[in-house]
Amino acid sequence: MSGHEPSQPSSHTFDYKHVGGRFLGLVALAVVAFAAVAIGAFTNTKQFAFSYLFAFTFFLTICMGGLFWTFVHHAVDAEWSVVVRRQLENIASLLAVMGILFIPLIFVAPTLWYWMKPENANDPLLIEKWPYLTKEFFWIRAAFYFVFFTVASLWLRRNSIKQDTSGSAKYTLLNRKITFGSLPLFAVSLTFAAIDWLMGLDYHWFSTMWGVYIFAGTALSSMCVLVLIITALRNAGYFKNVITIEHYHIMGKLMLAFTIFWAYIGFSQYMLIWYANIPEETIYFLRRNTESWQILSTALVVGHFFVPFLLLLSNMGKKNPAFLCGMALWILTMHLLDIYVVVLPALHKAGVQPNWLDFACLAAIGCTLAALFLKRLGDSPLWPLRDPRLKNSIALKN
Amino acid sequence: MNAVGNTSAPVYGIAAEFQCARDLYHAAQKIRDAGFQKWDVFSPFPIHGMDEAMGMKRSILGKVVFLGGLTGFLTAVTLEFGTSSFLYPLIVAGKPTNLFTVPAFFPIMFELTILLSAFTAVFGMLLMNGLPRLNHQLFNWDRFKLVTEDKFFVAIEAKDPQFSSRSVSDFLESLGGTHITTIHGD
Repeated sequence: MSGHEPSQPSSHTFDYKHVGGRFLGLVALAVVAFAAVAIGAFTNTKQFAFSYLFAFTFFLTICMGGLFWTFVHHAVDAEWSVVVRRQLENIASLLAVMGILFIPLIFVAPTLWYWMKPENANDPLLIEKWPYLTKEFFWIRAAFYFVFFTVASLWLRRNSIKQDTSGSAKYTLLNRKITFGSLPLFAVSLTFAAIDWLMGLDYHWFSTMWGVYIFAGTALSSMCVLVLIITALRNAGYFKNVITIEHYHIMGKLMLAFTIFWAYIGFSQYMLIWYANIPEETIYFLRRNTESWQILSTALVVGHFFVPFLLLLSNMGKKNPAFLCGMALWILTMHLLDIYVVVLPALHKAGVQPNWLDFACLAAIGCTLAALFLKRLGDSPLWPLRDPRLKNSIALKN
Repeated sequence: MNAVGNTSAPVYGIAAEFQCARDLYHAAQKIRDAGFQKWDVFSPFPIHGMDEAMGMKRSILGKVVFLGGLTGFLTAVTLEFGTSSFLYPLIVAGKPTNLFTVPAFFPIMFELTILLSAFTAVFGMLLMNGLPRLNHQLFNWDRFKLVTEDKFFVAIEAKDPQFSSRSVSDFLESLGGTHITTIHGD
């Protein structure tokens, strides 16, 4: 070919021909998986409740992370992330769907969060936690989280897309204001969602670091998903001369930073509980550090921290998209294991007991979100075309 | 060509003045391509991409810092396990110190790793830059004071294997440098 502009692949809108029949395949798989999950919900309600919460939490953290990084972009007026921002917005926009996917949990709430059961109503520890642990307040909070997540993510994305046609800097400024208003609400929502749905699995237990522990996994896992999405799109021929190795370098650095952050928070939480040795607190780790759960907890320490930490330390790996994708997949697997070890020991107290419903729920929610993400991908340009900082972002050097 | 400093002292190098960052950047590229080794540029503010224009290699500081951090980590491990597990085994609350007491030891391992990494980074950086130093031959040149205002400078040192006063001053002139001056030591 001659010295013309790169021909069709340089396009900035996603062409569905790259997906083809796979889109329908995803939809079909989601439908089949949901049907299987529905059968499981009636035959084995207890297992369904926990498996579904596990899968739900895994994907919720990824979507919340997309919103978090969008906020970070606007709050610090970042330059490098302009070119990847649309994909973060796309991930975050799935939070609205997460609100709908939350509905099945409403029906199994007392199974999951056993403080709701009438026989516990007179437990002094529950009475002490009045009015936080009351059903009314619990559902109001859940509604608030999803309303906030949905409004914030869709509003930011809408302004960003409007800027693609108008090019007006006022949308950048407006999004910055939205972000400043949203950041405290985001911190509150993420923290209390983690407390309500995960710490609430055992209302006797508490950890003051719980919210930030879940947040660490949130920011890390969504950065990994971003790396995978960007690489997939690059391999399909998009982002030519837009996203360079320099952008990968930054994403790799953030992956390393949050790997360390996760370990720092996870260890701090563990050490404080281990050292104080108060039965009310140690129950959480006692369960996860005995029987076969011990193997998974140890695997987390090695796989979620030491392996990615050592492998991401060097400059070379962070500048190599293929290597970084491998690391992203590895860390996502570890994040999945992390959430598994958070949720499932509450059900299988005697030891690890995998169930087909774990996988069915993951497939059901995962395929639904993947299909909707592909739909999102074609809705708008792949990167903010007329962001005032786009040129600087493309020319990034670090 | 002007000369400053003590003219009987050895020559430090030849310096030239440039009027803007762009000129300095292009001059740096040409000096790099001419194969000079011992030279430097000076500007009132950092110039993006200058390290590349000068052909500077990646600093080895990162690797040195890694070794510093490793030293800190191993120091902590030795101090903690060596003393409490081997030399004078501690038994607290019926629990002997062994591999399973690692949560209590971990903060110290972490802190010492960070401490020695930070020390190595700061002091290694100073050392590699030849800092701290009290004076520099370039300060003998009055015009060089403008480097903290609005002027840009290049200096090619006499230590450079390609250095010869005539060719270097001609070369700097051809790059658009002005006020080309030979800098002597004190």
